[in-house]
Amino acid sequence: MISKSLLPFLCLLAVAGPAQAADILAIKVGRAETISHGTIEHAVILVEDGRIVMVGEDLPIERGIEVLDRDPEWTVMPGLVNCYSRVGLDSKGGNDSRPMQMASGELYPASEDFAKVLEAGVTTLGLYPPGNGIPGQSVVVRPSGETAGEMILADGAYLKVLARSSASSKKMIRKGFEKADDYTEKEQKAREKWEKAKEKWEKDKKKKDDKEEEEDGDQKKTFDPYVAPEPDDQATAFQALRDGELRALISISDSASYLHFLDAIDDEEFTWDLRVPVTRELNLFHLAGKIGEAGRRVVMEPTMSLHPATMRQRNLPAELATAGAKLVLIPRSDSVESHEAWLRHTGELVALGLPREVALRAMTLEAAEVLGMGETLGSVDEGKAANLVFFDGDPLEPGTNIEAVMLDGRFVTEEVDR
Amino acid sequence: MSTHETLFATLAVTLLGSVAPADPAQPWTADDEPEESEKAPVEIEDYYFAVTGGDVHAAGGEVLRGATLLAKNGKITHIGYDVEIPGVDYFADMPQEDRNFVTETLDATGLRVYPGLVAISSSGLMGASGDFADTADPFHQNLVLALGGGITSTGASRGVVKLKRYVEHDPPRDYDFGGIVLGESTYVSLSWSGRSPSGKASLREKLTAAADYLRVYRQWEADVKKDKELEEPRKTGVDSSILAILKGEVRARFGADDRDDLLGIARLAQEFGFRPVIKGCREGWTVADELGRAGASAIITPRSRRDKNEDLVREGGSSIENAALLHAAGIPIVIEPQSGGVNLSGIVGRDILHLPVEAAFAVRGGLSEAAALDAITIEPARMMGIGHRVGSLAVGKDCDLIVTDGDVLHYQTFVQYAVVDGELVYDKEKELFYAHIRPRAQGEVAPPEKLDAGENPEEQEDEGDGGEDPGEEGEGEDSGDDGGDEEADEEEEGDEAEGDGGA
Amino acid sequence: MVGLAAFTLCFAALGSLADPKPPTAVVCDKLLTMDASDRILSPGMVWMEGGRLSYVGAPRAVPAGFERVELKGWAAPGLVDLHTHIHSGGWGDTNDMCRTVNPELRSAPALRPANRKLEVACAGGVTTLLGIPGSGTNISGFGVLYKAKTSGGFDSSVMAAVGGMKVAQDSNPQGRAGDFGFGNSRASMSWALIDVCERALGARRDGRFDPALEDLARVLTRELPVLIHTAGSDGVVNTARMWKRRYDTRCTISHGSFDGWKAAKAVAEWGVPVNHGPRTVDYYSSRNGRVNGTSAEYVAAGVPLFSLNTDSAVIPQEEFFLQGSMSARYGAPSYQMLRAVTIHPAQVFGIDDRVGSLEEGKDADVVVYSGDPLDPRSRVERVWIDGELQYACERGGQVF
Repeated sequence: MISKSLLPFLCLLAVAGPAQAADILAIKVGRAETISHGTIEHAVILVEDGRIVMVGEDLPIERGIEVLDRDPEWTVMPGLVNCYSRVGLDSKGGNDSRPMQMASGELYPASEDFAKVLEAGVTTLGLYPPGNGIPGQSVVVRPSGETAGEMILADGAYLKVLARSSASSKKMIRKGFEKADDYTEKEQKAREKWEKAKEKWEKDKKKKDDKEEEEDGDQKKTFDPYVAPEPDDQATAFQALRDGELRALISISDSASYLHFLDAIDDEEFTWDLRVPVTRELNLFHLAGKIGEAGRRVVMEPTMSLHPATMRQRNLPAELATAGAKLVLIPRSDSVESHEAWLRHTGELVALGLPREVALRAMTLEAAEVLGMGETLGSVDEGKAANLVFFDGDPLEPGTNIEAVMLDGRFVTEEVDR
Repeated sequence: MSTHETLFATLAVTLLGSVAPADPAQPWTADDEPEESEKAPVEIEDYYFAVTGGDVHAAGGEVLRGATLLAKNGKITHIGYDVEIPGVDYFADMPQEDRNFVTETLDATGLRVYPGLVAISSSGLMGASGDFADTADPFHQNLVLALGGGITSTGASRGVVKLKRYVEHDPPRDYDFGGIVLGESTYVSLSWSGRSPSGKASLREKLTAAADYLRVYRQWEADVKKDKELEEPRKTGVDSSILAILKGEVRARFGADDRDDLLGIARLAQEFGFRPVIKGCREGWTVADELGRAGASAIITPRSRRDKNEDLVREGGSSIENAALLHAAGIPIVIEPQSGGVNLSGIVGRDILHLPVEAAFAVRGGLSEAAALDAITIEPARMMGIGHRVGSLAVGKDCDLIVTDGDVLHYQTFVQYAVVDGELVYDKEKELFYAHIRPRAQGEVAPPEKLDAGENPEEQEDEGDGGEDPGEEGEGEDSGDDGGDEEADEEEEGDEAEGDGGA
Repeated sequence: MVGLAAFTLCFAALGSLADPKPPTAVVCDKLLTMDASDRILSPGMVWMEGGRLSYVGAPRAVPAGFERVELKGWAAPGLVDLHTHIHSGGWGDTNDMCRTVNPELRSAPALRPANRKLEVACAGGVTTLLGIPGSGTNISGFGVLYKAKTSGGFDSSVMAAVGGMKVAQDSNPQGRAGDFGFGNSRASMSWALIDVCERALGARRDGRFDPALEDLARVLTRELPVLIHTAGSDGVVNTARMWKRRYDTRCTISHGSFDGWKAAKAVAEWGVPVNHGPRTVDYYSSRNGRVNGTSAEYVAAGVPLFSLNTDSAVIPQEEFFLQGSMSARYGAPSYQMLRAVTIHPAQVFGIDDRVGSLEEGKDADVVVYSGDPLDPRSRVERVWIDGELQYACERGGQVF
């Protein structure tokens, strides 16, 4: 179906230049949940080379551009981002600290689950390494591709750290930073030693040069360059945290473990988000104010919990969001079914008080931020990847179906009738 | 305005320094903001906590009626009358943003102020059994319940810990895990039992070896001052914990009930010169003088029963008078309940939450009320080596206190507030556990008066002089489902009343 | 100091006590009659003559021949506990696990009068007990009503050898009774009870004398009371339905623990008394986040003749009063809790013509406390049972 409202006198493609039918598609939908700048009615989204190049309400479309017109039936939102997942992975981990272990190492592209979660609208996965303690770094993948290389968007997205109310857990975290300290000291000493040696060499050389100008002895022409001592994994990872090259996702289990984590890191400054599994009687409401005030990002399941020892329900994701935390939602489990029910579960929380725009953001843009990819993913914005999910109604309503899923500008669901 | 705010006001807990706008109905206007950003906020240096109007049970048994207790940064600075509270009696007009202090006041008019109770031992009150700085759960249910039971410090299997709950403050304060640990374990467990003659012999050997060493060591200590080259005597074969006992660094703790064992311990203690702590001590009343002369202390459970050995003619078995008789013989008494854990299974009055009930049974057996109170406050604190910090209310000590609605030894008395390190950590009305029981009426600090069993509330109804009828509350008609709900629900930001799970 | 021997010696030494029942007049600071009009006298006086109370009221001139005793403290009726297991001196002889229903069994033969536990119970103010078999089987037999005398034998202690029946309808007997595993479910327990009741009624109807079913028939014709071990809200309702609605017996729900209080309104409506204990609070089952004072809830719901028990030796018999104290602590009115350990249990078992309150003509079972009977700090000064001095704190040493 080609749109009839072609307005040739307005050229939309100032940046992209003349239309190339094969790569450009204009999609008209009844409503777009952009996440970054609210809802747009009768939205037109222009997709080119796998990216969104333009978004707006009722934008005129240049002649010759293929148009997919689903206004007003369809609603579009950015592809869902599950930032904390083990979909398609099945190895087991230990209890120790291996901060340089990469989840990408166990990526198995042939897993059928990737295609299934993609069909459920999940266009980005943050896969974390298995194990307790500090099991390593996550990888960001698109759930499609024949090889790991095709799937991986970014490696080392975040360092997963399990924080518990235990001496061993706190020690593991403190030790990591101590190792980084040790390395810094060691490196500094090595450099000083090298500099002294070089100074001496240069002096000697100068003396020799002065004295024996004509002699072409075995004196080397140059001094060996400085080679820093090899840091161990702990030092590498924790220094990267300090330097802002790596971020962390801190998995806590309750309020106490959060305070113990704060106690363990003391004044250490680095970028970290929180992960807390919503258990039946999770008591995190005690710290809603503290976490909210810090504007902390919190990764949770869309699940109601009970006030401890009662049958009274609490909407902890909503409570934290209201207190000022940045909410990130993930499916209740790694099963395909949980991914399929993810929007519905989130819709339940919205019905029970979670602001709708917070909920949508929590599954897309805020999740992309956890992965350090907020610049390229998670909203319907110019320049972002054309990862889009199309619905036949409100995405959070129980009866709504997914009509199509687009990954990097290509529909991955059944052939869409244009 | 929600009942929450009303309730907050009637709780009389006012955050004087920290509530930003004077009128909560009027939020900051845009004009205020630049001013704020221009001036850096004054850093808070001092935290004051004042309890006013209550009957303060101060150290030494003195009761100051309607007095004020003031603490600064967790330590008591004043107890008495005409105490000036910063932010109230002076600096009252100082703008909030200029203050480098925060003052919290608690109106205890009509209530009593006691030192926080000290449990000589307990289990699981902080969700941890030791290593508190790294494992304590400052949100644990048992911690809140224990504060509701009046306990603010406890000994545990390893160490002594404060029951400090995490409280959200504005401006925020850090939770100091290191600060909750009051000390390491201050005793060594020893065994002396007629059932194990070899154990007795072995202990005697160890004591002898340690005493011999100590003699040599003391000599060396004297000699080394003259001759610095002298080598310290070797400790080979000397048990270091036994040595610590003889040096008076730690106390030896025995678990013993049998009269013969108690006498044996008393003789041993006198022979080797240490002061034993005896836990159990159920036949202690038969040998109280001997134990007193040996400088023993006792940890007892007044209700714990033990039948007399009918094979023996002499006195024996447990006695409800044990605490009184031991105390009369000069033995410091510490009282502990039958169970050191929190027991919510339904049989009440015997677990750690009912420490004062156990102490009341010592009073039944003749112990003075003052001594019974000491036995759950200052005596256990002293026994654990923390008597200089907690266990009584005195200037310079930690501001760990409880505010009760009556005599702490009375069976109906509830802890209304608990304070640890000058922070309000428990308010009965704000927790679900007990809020429904004789709730504080709105606008009243003190809950309705309790009636003892000898006063029939129905009979008293006519005697009301137009005021509030204490009988109504006593009848429990008001404190049934509905009355309690409203109060209890306040804690949870006015949620709907709980589903009762299918009656 | 606490020995029975010492106590007996003192007895012998005191001439006035040698006569088992000398007429005695006791004056004390306060007298809680626990009678129908809830008379409280300060000061008060009771006369004990021939084992009975001949006067209860304000102090007045005492006739010649009376021993006049003046005491500080409060006088109250001896405590009445309907759910106890210490009649044999400990936990022995409580269950016969042979059959699912045992209406032919009696606790009376297991009674050891004046056993050591009773001496302490008496020192705790307990004077009347129903010693019942355990809850191992659906019907475990008939309990014995007796007094906590510290001297004397069976005849002088026992009020009724067949005092009332004991039924266990929930949890405990489940899966334990019977040879063939019958009674594993509520369904089969229910059938076992209905079956035996119908057989007893049938025997009555047909004029057949069956020694095993005779006393059960007396229960079903309201001649004897029945105490039913049951707990939880569903158990409580189930029990009330069978024993009140179906068979209309003089039944009392005993225990009623956990969230049983949630059925309080229903049983109150049906007029079934509750004999509560040894658990008197509930936290876990109710799941409302509160430490629920369950006595308070039953009283608030209007359950008739609410009473307390110890299930001794689950709770030591001498701490019976503390069941009242703790119920009062957790929200119940304290005076009501004093009723719950005196007159209410007596009324429930139809022995209020003899015990449970201080009224003229009733048994002279008098306890003098140093203060509030529910306060653990108050000690028991003296206990008279049937007008006989059974315990005197200052003479034999304080037993409890």
